Amino acid sequence: MNSAQGVVAALQGALAAENSAVYGYGVAGAHLAGARRVAAVRNWVGHENARDTLTAMLAARGAQPVAAAAAYELPFAVHSAAAAVALATVLEDRLAAAYLGLTGLADPALRAFGARGVRTAALRAAAWRGSTLAFPGLDVPAARLPSRGSGSPGPTSPALGSPTSSHPG
Amino acid sequence: MARDATRRRVLAAAAAALPLVAAGCKGISVLGSPPKAAPGVTVATEAIAVETQLIAHYGAVLRTVPGLAGTLRPLLAQHHEHLARLRARLIVPPGGQPLPRPRATPLLTAPVPGTSAAALGYLRHAENAASAALLAHLAAAPPSLAELLASISASEATHALVLTTPATHR
Repeated sequence: MNSAQGVVAALQGALAAENSAVYGYGVAGAHLAGARRVAAVRNWVGHENARDTLTAMLAARGAQPVAAAAAYELPFAVHSAAAAVALATVLEDRLAAAYLGLTGLADPALRAFGARGVRTAALRAAAWRGSTLAFPGLDVPAARLPSRGSGSPGPTSPALGSPTSSHPG
Repeated sequence: MARDATRRRVLAAAAAALPLVAAGCKGISVLGSPPKAAPGVTVATEAIAVETQLIAHYGAVLRTVPGLAGTLRPLLAQHHEHLARLRARLIVPPGGQPLPRPRATPLLTAPVPGTSAAALGYLRHAENAASAALLAHLAAAPPSLAELLASISASEATHALVLTTPATHR
Protein backbone atom coordinates (compact mmCIF):
# COMPACT_ATOMS: atom_id res chain seq x y z
CA MET A 1 0.00 0.00 0.00
CA ASN A 2 1.54 3.31 -1.01
CA SER A 3 1.23 6.39 1.13
CA ALA A 4 -1.75 7.89 -0.75
CA GLN A 5 -3.63 4.60 -0.40
CA GLY A 6 -2.72 4.51 3.27
CA VAL A 7 -4.15 8.01 3.77
CA VAL A 8 -7.41 7.11 2.00
CA ALA A 9 -7.73 3.84 3.94
CA ALA A 10 -7.22 5.61 7.26
CA LEU A 11 -9.72 8.35 6.38
CA GLN A 12 -12.23 5.73 5.23
CA GLY A 13 -11.77 3.91 8.53
CA ALA A 14 -12.54 7.07 10.46
CA LEU A 15 -15.53 7.82 8.22
CA ALA A 16 -16.94 4.30 8.68
CA ALA A 17 -16.63 4.73 12.45
CA GLU A 18 -18.36 8.13 12.27
CA ASN A 19 -21.16 6.64 10.14
CA SER A 20 -21.79 3.90 12.68
CA ALA A 21 -21.64 6.47 15.50
CA VAL A 22 -24.30 8.61 13.84
CA TYR A 23 -26.51 5.51 13.62
CA GLY A 24 -25.63 4.27 17.10
CA TYR A 25 -26.29 7.58 18.84
CA GLY A 26 -29.70 7.62 17.19
CA VAL A 27 -30.43 4.32 18.93
CA ALA A 28 -28.81 5.32 22.23
CA GLY A 29 -30.48 8.72 22.40
CA ALA A 30 -33.93 7.12 22.24
CA HIS A 31 -33.26 5.36 25.57
CA LEU A 32 -31.77 8.34 27.41
CA ALA A 33 -33.36 11.26 29.23
CA GLY A 34 -32.31 14.53 30.80
CA ALA A 35 -28.65 15.51 30.76
CA ARG A 36 -27.59 12.22 29.19
CA ARG A 37 -30.00 12.71 26.33
CA VAL A 38 -28.66 16.24 25.84
CA ALA A 39 -25.11 14.86 25.75
CA ALA A 40 -26.13 12.16 23.28
CA VAL A 41 -27.74 14.69 20.95
CA ARG A 42 -24.70 16.98 21.21
CA ASN A 43 -22.36 14.10 20.36
CA TRP A 44 -24.66 12.95 17.56
CA VAL A 45 -24.39 16.39 15.95
CA GLY A 46 -20.63 16.31 16.47
CA HIS A 47 -20.40 12.99 14.66
CA GLU A 48 -22.50 14.28 11.78
CA ASN A 49 -20.12 17.22 11.42
CA ALA A 50 -17.06 14.96 11.61
CA ARG A 51 -18.62 12.69 8.99
CA ASP A 52 -19.04 15.68 6.66
CA THR A 53 -15.45 16.79 7.27
CA LEU A 54 -14.08 13.33 6.47
CA THR A 55 -16.31 13.03 3.41
CA ALA A 56 -14.88 16.30 2.09
CA MET A 57 -11.31 15.22 2.86
CA LEU A 58 -11.83 12.00 0.90
CA ALA A 59 -13.49 13.77 -2.01
CA ALA A 60 -10.57 16.22 -2.14
CA ARG A 61 -8.31 13.20 -2.60
CA GLY A 62 -10.43 11.82 -5.42
CA ALA A 63 -11.70 8.92 -3.33
CA GLN A 64 -15.28 7.70 -3.09
CA PRO A 65 -16.30 8.13 0.56
CA VAL A 66 -17.57 4.93 2.15
CA ALA A 67 -21.37 5.06 2.34
CA ALA A 68 -23.33 4.72 5.55
CA ALA A 69 -25.30 1.50 5.92
CA ALA A 70 -29.07 1.65 6.38
CA ALA A 71 -28.65 -0.23 9.66
CA TYR A 72 -25.78 -1.55 11.78
CA GLU A 73 -25.52 -4.60 13.93
CA LEU A 74 -25.24 -3.45 17.53
CA PRO A 75 -22.75 -5.15 19.86
CA PHE A 76 -25.61 -5.95 22.26
CA ALA A 77 -29.34 -5.30 22.50
CA VAL A 78 -30.16 -1.76 23.62
CA HIS A 79 -33.38 -1.64 25.64
CA SER A 80 -32.34 0.44 28.63
CA ALA A 81 -30.48 3.60 29.60
CA ALA A 82 -27.56 1.52 30.93
CA ALA A 83 -27.25 -0.27 27.60
CA ALA A 84 -27.50 3.04 25.75
CA VAL A 85 -24.62 4.46 27.79
CA ALA A 86 -22.59 1.31 27.17
CA LEU A 87 -23.28 1.60 23.44
CA ALA A 88 -22.18 5.24 23.35
CA THR A 89 -18.99 4.22 25.16
CA VAL A 90 -18.29 1.48 22.62
CA LEU A 91 -18.88 3.87 19.72
CA GLU A 92 -16.40 6.39 21.12
CA ASP A 93 -13.82 3.72 21.92
CA ARG A 94 -13.96 2.57 18.31
CA LEU A 95 -13.72 6.13 17.02
CA ALA A 96 -10.57 6.64 19.09
CA ALA A 97 -9.09 3.53 17.45
CA ALA A 98 -10.11 4.70 13.98
CA TYR A 99 -8.61 8.16 14.43
CA LEU A 100 -5.46 6.68 15.91
CA GLY A 101 -4.91 5.14 12.48
CA LEU A 102 -4.34 8.66 11.14
CA THR A 103 -1.65 9.55 13.67
CA GLY A 104 0.93 7.23 12.12
CA LEU A 105 0.65 8.70 8.60
CA ALA A 106 3.49 10.70 7.06
CA ASP A 107 1.60 14.00 6.73
CA PRO A 108 2.02 16.00 9.99
CA ALA A 109 -1.30 17.80 9.42
CA LEU A 110 -3.14 14.46 9.21
CA ARG A 111 -1.31 13.26 12.31
CA ALA A 112 -2.50 16.32 14.20
CA PHE A 113 -6.03 15.89 12.84
CA GLY A 114 -6.00 12.26 13.95
CA ALA A 115 -4.70 13.18 17.40
CA ARG A 116 -7.55 15.67 17.84
CA GLY A 117 -10.00 12.93 16.83
CA VAL A 118 -8.52 10.48 19.36
CA ARG A 119 -8.70 13.12 22.06
CA THR A 120 -12.31 14.07 21.33
CA ALA A 121 -13.44 10.44 21.28
CA ALA A 122 -11.47 9.64 24.45
CA LEU A 123 -13.04 12.56 26.30
CA ARG A 124 -16.55 11.49 25.27
CA ALA A 125 -15.85 7.86 26.14
CA ALA A 126 -14.50 8.85 29.56
CA ALA A 127 -17.59 10.94 30.23
CA TRP A 128 -19.89 8.00 29.38
CA ARG A 129 -17.74 5.44 31.18
CA GLY A 130 -17.13 7.55 34.26
CA SER A 131 -13.49 6.53 34.25
CA THR A 132 -10.42 6.84 32.05
CA LEU A 133 -8.38 4.46 29.94
CA ALA A 134 -4.58 4.33 29.88
CA PHE A 135 -4.41 3.85 26.10
CA PRO A 136 -7.52 5.12 24.31
CA GLY A 137 -7.66 3.85 20.75
CA LEU A 138 -4.74 1.53 21.33
CA ASP A 139 -6.06 -0.87 23.97
CA VAL A 140 -9.76 -0.96 23.16
CA PRO A 141 -11.88 -2.72 25.79
CA ALA A 142 -14.25 -5.42 24.62
CA ALA A 143 -17.80 -4.27 23.94
CA ARG A 144 -20.01 -5.54 26.71
CA LEU A 145 -22.84 -4.50 28.91
CA PRO A 146 -21.72 -3.58 32.42
CA SER A 147 -23.05 -6.11 34.92
CA ARG A 148 -25.63 -4.51 37.13
CA GLY A 149 -24.42 -3.15 40.45
CA SER A 150 -20.69 -3.19 39.77
CA GLY A 151 -19.77 0.34 38.91
CA SER A 152 -16.05 -0.23 39.16
CA PRO A 153 -14.20 0.53 35.97
CA GLY A 154 -11.85 -2.41 36.34
CA PRO A 155 -8.50 -2.73 34.65
CA THR A 156 -8.00 -1.96 31.02
CA SER A 157 -9.08 -4.95 29.02
CA PRO A 158 -6.78 -5.77 26.13
CA ALA A 159 -9.45 -7.55 24.12
CA LEU A 160 -10.38 -5.95 20.84
CA GLY A 161 -14.08 -5.89 20.06
CA SER A 162 -15.32 -6.81 16.63
CA PRO A 163 -16.39 -3.89 14.48
CA THR A 164 -19.95 -2.66 14.76
CA SER A 165 -20.58 -3.00 11.09
CA SER A 166 -19.07 -4.45 8.01
CA HIS A 167 -18.30 -1.96 5.29
CA PRO A 168 -21.17 -1.80 2.86
CA GLY A 169 -20.62 -2.56 -0.78
CA MET B 1 -3.16 -4.73 22.91
CA ALA B 2 0.34 -5.82 23.70
CA ARG B 3 1.18 -6.69 20.11
CA ASP B 4 1.44 -2.97 19.39
CA ALA B 5 4.13 -2.54 21.97
CA THR B 6 6.30 -5.08 20.27
CA ARG B 7 5.35 -4.32 16.70
CA ARG B 8 7.97 -1.69 16.22
CA ARG B 9 10.65 -0.76 18.65
CA VAL B 10 13.12 2.01 18.47
CA LEU B 11 16.56 0.57 18.39
CA ALA B 12 19.12 2.73 20.07
CA ALA B 13 21.76 0.28 18.89
CA ALA B 14 20.85 0.73 15.22
CA ALA B 15 20.94 4.48 15.61
CA ALA B 16 24.44 4.30 17.00
CA ALA B 17 25.80 2.06 14.25
CA LEU B 18 24.82 4.04 11.16
CA PRO B 19 26.86 7.25 11.55
CA LEU B 20 30.07 5.26 11.96
CA VAL B 21 29.59 3.76 8.49
CA ALA B 22 28.83 7.14 6.98
CA ALA B 23 31.87 8.62 8.68
CA GLY B 24 34.26 6.35 6.82
CA CYS B 25 35.15 8.90 4.16
CA LYS B 26 35.46 11.87 6.45
CA GLY B 27 38.58 11.04 8.38
CA ILE B 28 39.23 9.67 11.80
CA SER B 29 38.24 12.83 13.65
CA VAL B 30 34.56 12.29 12.81
CA LEU B 31 34.67 9.01 14.70
CA GLY B 32 35.41 10.90 17.89
CA SER B 33 32.06 12.67 17.98
CA PRO B 34 29.23 10.68 19.50
CA PRO B 35 26.68 9.42 16.96
CA LYS B 36 23.33 11.14 16.96
CA ALA B 37 20.39 9.10 18.17
CA ALA B 38 17.59 8.19 15.78
CA PRO B 39 14.56 10.54 15.98
CA GLY B 40 12.48 7.85 17.66
CA VAL B 41 15.01 7.50 20.44
CA THR B 42 15.01 11.23 21.09
CA VAL B 43 11.21 11.43 21.03
CA ALA B 44 10.80 8.41 23.31
CA THR B 45 13.34 9.85 25.73
CA GLU B 46 11.51 13.18 25.81
CA ALA B 47 8.16 11.45 26.35
CA ILE B 48 9.64 9.36 29.17
CA ALA B 49 10.87 12.58 30.79
CA VAL B 50 7.37 14.08 30.56
CA GLU B 51 5.76 11.02 32.18
CA THR B 52 8.42 10.89 34.87
CA GLN B 53 7.75 14.52 35.75
CA LEU B 54 4.02 13.92 35.85
CA ILE B 55 4.46 10.97 38.20
CA ALA B 56 6.66 13.12 40.42
CA HIS B 57 3.94 15.81 40.54
CA TYR B 58 1.39 13.17 41.60
CA GLY B 59 3.79 11.99 44.30
CA ALA B 60 4.25 15.52 45.59
CA VAL B 61 0.50 16.14 45.73
CA LEU B 62 -0.17 12.83 47.48
CA ARG B 63 2.41 13.71 50.13
CA THR B 64 0.88 17.16 50.63
CA VAL B 65 -2.82 16.22 50.41
CA PRO B 66 -3.09 12.50 51.31
CA GLY B 67 -6.89 12.73 51.31
CA LEU B 68 -6.84 12.83 47.52
CA ALA B 69 -5.41 9.31 47.25
CA GLY B 70 -8.74 7.76 46.29
CA THR B 71 -9.12 10.09 43.33
CA LEU B 72 -5.49 10.12 42.26
CA ARG B 73 -4.37 6.50 42.59
CA PRO B 74 -6.19 5.18 39.50
CA LEU B 75 -4.82 8.05 37.41
CA LEU B 76 -1.32 7.59 38.77
CA ALA B 77 -1.49 3.87 37.96
CA GLN B 78 -2.27 4.76 34.35
CA HIS B 79 0.76 7.05 34.24
CA HIS B 80 2.92 4.15 35.37
CA GLU B 81 1.42 2.17 32.46
CA HIS B 82 2.29 5.02 30.10
CA LEU B 83 5.85 5.10 31.37
CA ALA B 84 6.28 1.33 31.05
CA ARG B 85 4.93 1.32 27.49
CA LEU B 86 7.24 4.18 26.49
CA ARG B 87 10.25 2.51 28.09
CA ALA B 88 9.46 -0.66 26.17
CA ARG B 89 10.17 1.33 23.00
CA LEU B 90 13.80 1.72 23.93
CA ILE B 91 16.24 -1.12 23.73
CA VAL B 92 19.45 0.08 25.26
CA PRO B 93 22.43 -2.12 24.44
CA PRO B 94 24.57 -3.00 27.45
CA GLY B 95 27.56 -0.72 27.60
CA GLY B 96 26.23 1.23 24.63
CA GLN B 97 25.91 4.94 24.06
CA PRO B 98 24.14 6.88 26.78
CA LEU B 99 20.66 7.95 25.81
CA PRO B 100 20.19 11.54 24.67
CA ARG B 101 19.50 13.85 27.57
CA PRO B 102 15.89 15.07 27.38
CA ARG B 103 15.39 18.78 26.86
CA ALA B 104 11.87 18.67 28.31
CA THR B 105 10.99 21.84 30.17
CA PRO B 106 9.38 21.45 33.60
CA LEU B 107 5.63 20.94 33.46
CA LEU B 108 5.09 22.99 36.62
CA THR B 109 7.46 25.01 38.74
CA ALA B 110 5.06 26.31 41.40
CA PRO B 111 4.91 24.60 44.80
CA VAL B 112 2.09 22.14 45.49
CA PRO B 113 -0.96 23.94 46.91
CA GLY B 114 -2.22 22.77 50.30
CA THR B 115 -5.95 22.51 49.65
CA SER B 116 -7.67 19.67 47.79
CA ALA B 117 -9.33 21.86 45.19
CA ALA B 118 -6.15 23.78 44.41
CA ALA B 119 -4.09 20.60 44.32
CA LEU B 120 -6.50 19.09 41.79
CA GLY B 121 -6.17 22.23 39.69
CA TYR B 122 -2.41 21.94 39.94
CA LEU B 123 -2.47 18.39 38.58
CA ARG B 124 -4.99 19.38 35.95
CA HIS B 125 -2.50 21.92 34.66
CA ALA B 126 0.24 19.31 34.75
CA GLU B 127 -1.90 16.84 32.78
CA ASN B 128 -2.76 19.43 30.15
CA ALA B 129 0.87 20.48 29.86
CA ALA B 130 1.98 16.86 29.50
CA SER B 131 -0.73 16.15 26.92
CA ALA B 132 0.45 19.12 24.84
CA ALA B 133 4.13 18.28 25.31
CA LEU B 134 3.62 14.79 23.89
CA LEU B 135 1.76 16.12 20.87
CA ALA B 136 4.60 18.55 20.19
CA HIS B 137 6.72 15.48 19.33
CA LEU B 138 4.06 13.87 17.14
CA ALA B 139 5.50 14.96 13.79
CA ALA B 140 9.03 13.75 14.60
CA ALA B 141 8.02 10.31 15.84
CA PRO B 142 8.14 7.08 13.82
CA PRO B 143 4.58 5.88 13.00
CA SER B 144 3.93 3.43 15.83
CA LEU B 145 5.49 5.73 18.41
CA ALA B 146 3.31 8.57 17.06
CA GLU B 147 0.26 6.38 17.70
CA LEU B 148 1.41 5.71 21.24
CA LEU B 149 2.03 9.43 21.88
CA ALA B 150 -1.42 10.36 20.55
CA SER B 151 -3.05 7.70 22.73
CA ILE B 152 -1.21 8.74 25.89
CA SER B 153 -1.87 12.41 25.16
CA ALA B 154 -5.59 11.67 24.85
CA SER B 155 -5.51 9.66 28.09
CA GLU B 156 -3.99 12.66 29.86
CA ALA B 157 -6.69 14.92 28.44
CA THR B 158 -9.27 12.60 30.02
CA HIS B 159 -7.38 12.75 33.33
CA ALA B 160 -7.68 16.52 33.24
CA LEU B 161 -11.44 16.02 32.84
CA VAL B 162 -11.58 13.82 35.94
CA LEU B 163 -9.53 16.38 37.90
CA THR B 164 -12.03 19.08 36.89
CA THR B 165 -14.85 17.15 38.51
CA PRO B 166 -13.41 15.78 41.75
CA ALA B 167 -16.74 14.45 42.95
CA THR B 168 -16.39 10.81 41.97
CA HIS B 169 -18.71 9.77 39.20
CA ARG B 170 -19.76 6.54 40.83
